[in-house]
Amino acid sequence: MSRDFGWNVIVWNDPITLMTYVVLVFRRLFGYDHETATKLMLQVHHEGSAVVATQPREQAEVSVARLHAFGLQATLARP
Amino acid sequence: MAQVLRRRGRIQVKLDTREREALLSILDTMGPQVQADTRASARAYDEPAMQAEYDRWVRPDIERSRDADVSAVRDSLSGGENTLPLTEAQALSWLRAFNHVRLAAGRTLGIETDGWEERIDKAKRRRPEYGILLALGYLQEELLAALNS
Repeated sequence: MSRDFGWNVIVWNDPITLMTYVVLVFRRLFGYDHETATKLMLQVHHEGSAVVATQPREQAEVSVARLHAFGLQATLARP
Repeated sequence: MAQVLRRRGRIQVKLDTREREALLSILDTMGPQVQADTRASARAYDEPAMQAEYDRWVRPDIERSRDADVSAVRDSLSGGENTLPLTEAQALSWLRAFNHVRLAAGRTLGIETDGWEERIDKAKRRRPEYGILLALGYLQEELLAALNS
């Protein structure tokens, strides 16, 4: 039986995208409140990346594709 | 100067003729760079085989979404009106389209690290891509403020 323990959706820092835009994307795509979205955005900004969600692979790939559609750098990886 | 307002729940973008023409020109001239940039940046997996599948099955949707966003902006700008009413969905299309263009402009200028606003040299400040970064960044901030109000 195969089991999907979840894949990490990782967002990477880039020097161009506005921080306020990243907060809006996190709120819209993942339903985070402003405080959580801001905390994740700051983690991306200061540490270079952040795990913004852990989801089954198919859902994680959809999330990454939606992040790419917003122009964010995002990858998915096994935890 | 361009303005974005929110009145009675509706978003309105105020742009004069010169500003609308400038934005249309930016979309036209940056189009090839935006397409190349999306190809390079839509990396989802470290594993080459998984990335190849992503490129085959998912990236075309991302590119179609990007092209639809750019078309939405172009359609609004081509209407000849100084006040452009936007739905939230349209405002998000504008934000995404502008972000793709700004990323392509930044890549063209060779910007790779934070803090470029203070460090960028005079020669690059004179390039059109630098003006594009600032102008579209301003419009993004205005749209974000309207969406959050």
